[in-house]
Amino acid sequence: MSSSNTEAPLVELRMPQMGVSVAEGTITAWRKRPGDWIERDETVVEISTDKVETEVPSPAAGRLREVLVEEGATVDIGTLLATLDTAARPGEAHADEHEAEPGERSGVVSPVVRRIAAEHGIDVARLRGSGRRGRVTKKDVLALVNEQGGAGPESAIPAQEGDGGRQRAPAGERLSLMRRQIGEHMVRSLKTAAHCTTVVEADMSAVEAARGRLSYLAFVARAAVASLREHPSLNATIEGEHLTVHSEVHLGVAVSLGEEGLIVPVIRNAHDLSHEGLATRIADVAERARSKRLLPEEVEGGTFTITNPGRFGALLATPIINQPQVAILDLEAVIKRPVVVTDEQGRDSIAVRPMTYLCMSWDHRALDGVLAARFLSSVRRNLESWSG
Amino acid sequence: MPELTYLEAISDGLREEMRHDESVFCLGQDIGSFGGAFKVTEGLADEFGADRMWDTPLAESAIVGAAVGAAVEGMRPIAEMQFADFIACGFDQLVNVAAKMHYRQGLAVPLVVRLPSGGGFSGGPFHSQNPEAWFLQAPGLKVVAPSTPEDAKGLLASAVRDPNPVLYLEHKHLYRRLRGEVAKGRYETPLGGVRVARPGSDLTLVAYGAMVHTALEAVEDLDGARVEVLDLRTLCPLDREGILGSVRKTGKVVVLHEATRSCGVGAEVCALIAEEAFEDLDGPVVRVTAPDLPIPFSPPLESAVLPQVDQVREACRELLEY
Repeated sequence: MSSSNTEAPLVELRMPQMGVSVAEGTITAWRKRPGDWIERDETVVEISTDKVETEVPSPAAGRLREVLVEEGATVDIGTLLATLDTAARPGEAHADEHEAEPGERSGVVSPVVRRIAAEHGIDVARLRGSGRRGRVTKKDVLALVNEQGGAGPESAIPAQEGDGGRQRAPAGERLSLMRRQIGEHMVRSLKTAAHCTTVVEADMSAVEAARGRLSYLAFVARAAVASLREHPSLNATIEGEHLTVHSEVHLGVAVSLGEEGLIVPVIRNAHDLSHEGLATRIADVAERARSKRLLPEEVEGGTFTITNPGRFGALLATPIINQPQVAILDLEAVIKRPVVVTDEQGRDSIAVRPMTYLCMSWDHRALDGVLAARFLSSVRRNLESWSG
Repeated sequence: MPELTYLEAISDGLREEMRHDESVFCLGQDIGSFGGAFKVTEGLADEFGADRMWDTPLAESAIVGAAVGAAVEGMRPIAEMQFADFIACGFDQLVNVAAKMHYRQGLAVPLVVRLPSGGGFSGGPFHSQNPEAWFLQAPGLKVVAPSTPEDAKGLLASAVRDPNPVLYLEHKHLYRRLRGEVAKGRYETPLGGVRVARPGSDLTLVAYGAMVHTALEAVEDLDGARVEVLDLRTLCPLDREGILGSVRKTGKVVVLHEATRSCGVGAEVCALIAEEAFEDLDGPVVRVTAPDLPIPFSPPLESAVLPQVDQVREACRELLEY
């Protein structure tokens, strides 16, 4: 299995011949890493051939210098697998022990490092330490604590220079239950859906003329519901590999609760309602959401969601889909802009019009951009041709 | 202060205890005029007479049983096993009788059993064992394991004065190899306190008995690493705060013993640390022990089984670099 010269300090470990007809073997697992001390006859690597699975013992005592074949690789009999430094002695300093790949950061944080870091508001994940494979050691984090308290020895260094990553505000108050739930939901959605955002610009002149004291939201909701009837594949929910297209539109409307968070009550059978009916229902659920009088079933079962941060002046956004729905429409601020308008005779002129961006995030797992654009264009048409 | 070998310190301790208290007497095989298999009791029969230096038949159960009876009657017997390995024959008397006496009858059993233990001299499987862990699961027994001549004498005195049965492990390898200053006269080294054999701040190396010396040699020059060597001295009761205090300082621990690995003193110390000092750990808790094997006769095989200096160095270095 090995050809070793007793004079040379390096001993080679080769893929052994495990039977006459066997031509190659696969590395199943390395039991030792470079830098590890190995006794003679101690298992270094596990291999498998088409005949057997076996362990390869070390031909000599020494320190594993280099591993030349990765786990899972299949190589010919006789291929050099590793070298062993037999001049090394156990308990002696050796090159590998300080070696970490540049920028390598161990994910392992020991309990004491975690505790000290938490006490001093240090983000360990951003540090590169002096321990094995870049692990941040107790010494590293203590040196950093000293440094923060005054001049101290340089030890653990931020992984990115000058990003100020070594300091963080001291551990603050725990997030409220609502914030934690929103956070959990949003992160899960981002992890789950293939988010994509499409934007169209709509001229709200017709709505402006018709709306009186009603908010833009009710009109956009009505326009969106009508468009969902045209494009039912956006009125859908997706769970795993299963898409369900719904015949009824149960419209979620995001209601801000100020700094506390937000909640999305659902207006069931929104397709049965006029824009005035929608306005009444939106006002009702918003009021009850803020006074915490919503019933649990009123925040469930939505098939599509509209969010409306635009009334606070926002111009564009890429909302996060309310799982398990496939799209969320975002109504942004309505702002007067100079736009090119074309009259019936085909003549262009510049006019001042109340414009808005309709931004919709959609799940690329469930649909493609063409459908998103068609749907948004339909919503725009419904708004621009509003006649009450 | 006079310098005595580890063996002479034990002899000196026995002599002082017998002079100090007439209820103290020794019993065992050939401990009288022959002076014992290792000559620990040499000369004691001349000073104290055969009444206080009983030669017994080759029957450990009888030796321990007689000692239990005498202790219950108010004597302070010190029983010698020729080799610690043979205590197995007296196990029932120790574990089921001596250890339970106080619990069941409220009676004190102030006896000491001396156990010449340990390997390193090609003694093979019946003359080299370190059986301390057997007794750690028998509540009611105390277990001590001195590593220096000074402690050998001081811990013996405390063991004799203790109202409980105490197993006193004396490491044969240290008998004539180790010398140290030992105070004249009686003194007691309290049971249940660790000794800092070498102070340090980077890593705690816990050992007892002969392995304390292996530990000290291993870390003497470890590229400037400051390794604290703790000598447990008493295995039961364990000095929990002494161990935890050191671990809280260093954050890294290697536990070393010559006894076999599974369910040994090391396992108990590691468990204590994991339970009580988890948030102070900066690396895995590591054991260096004999593997779960009988001790071979063959010298190369024996040294492959018993923990060696290099092995301890390697373990410490690995953990220091972790």
